[in-house]
Amino acid sequence: MLVLTRKSDEKVTIGDDIVVSVLDIKGSQVKLGIEAPKGIAVHRSEIYERIQAENLLAASVVAADFVEAEKLWKPRKGHQDTVGGERED
Amino acid sequence: MKIETTRFGTVDVPAEKIITMSHGLLGFPDKRRFCIFQQKEGSPFFWYQSLDDAALAFVITDPWLFKPDYQVDLELAIRAMAWDGKADQLPLECYVIVTIPRGAPERMTANLMGPVVLNPNTREAVQIVLSNETYSHQYPLLKQEAA
Repeated sequence: MLVLTRKSDEKVTIGDDIVVSVLDIKGSQVKLGIEAPKGIAVHRSEIYERIQAENLLAASVVAADFVEAEKLWKPRKGHQDTVGGERED
Repeated sequence: MKIETTRFGTVDVPAEKIITMSHGLLGFPDKRRFCIFQQKEGSPFFWYQSLDDAALAFVITDPWLFKPDYQVDLELAIRAMAWDGKADQLPLECYVIVTIPRGAPERMTANLMGPVVLNPNTREAVQIVLSNETYSHQYPLLKQEAA
């Protein structure tokens, strides 16, 4: 890992079009400004990891549990009645 | 296009129904193509089946079925995908991924923090991260009854 020491108001440039600025330092908190082109996702790592972990959990649904879940959960909402709710067969 | 799936056997997906996720889902960056289908008419659940991995399928649902005040910053999706247009001009659709714990479907949850936004015009989708901490990644779909 490359380690750089920066002061408040100093920046780091990554590639041609990503700039990370140190906006403010207060005690143990650093406020960063990140400029990146459209299409580059920037996330707080712990939230990114939480969603990643949740996706991995969600990917392992078992058929029997799905059938049971469908029986357990019957949400009601206006438009739901018009989407296939009026069938007579 | 005929695709093999572990859960549903061979499924015929018309080319115009193929959804492309250029960023993949978080944790599955190389699974780029999906399709949405409903197993049973009237069900609140849809399947989000990978076309690149026969065994990979997610259960998704409409978040407004259970969270009518749910708010998604669609600009995050538009920016991430460089879609042309503003949120109120595009017919964007939003789904949330449901986790059904093994053997405990009553504890199923929805990931309100990481919704999947679909642009039906381009058939592209992206999972965005609502990082303002308003919404849980494990929002219970059933009210827990006191034991």
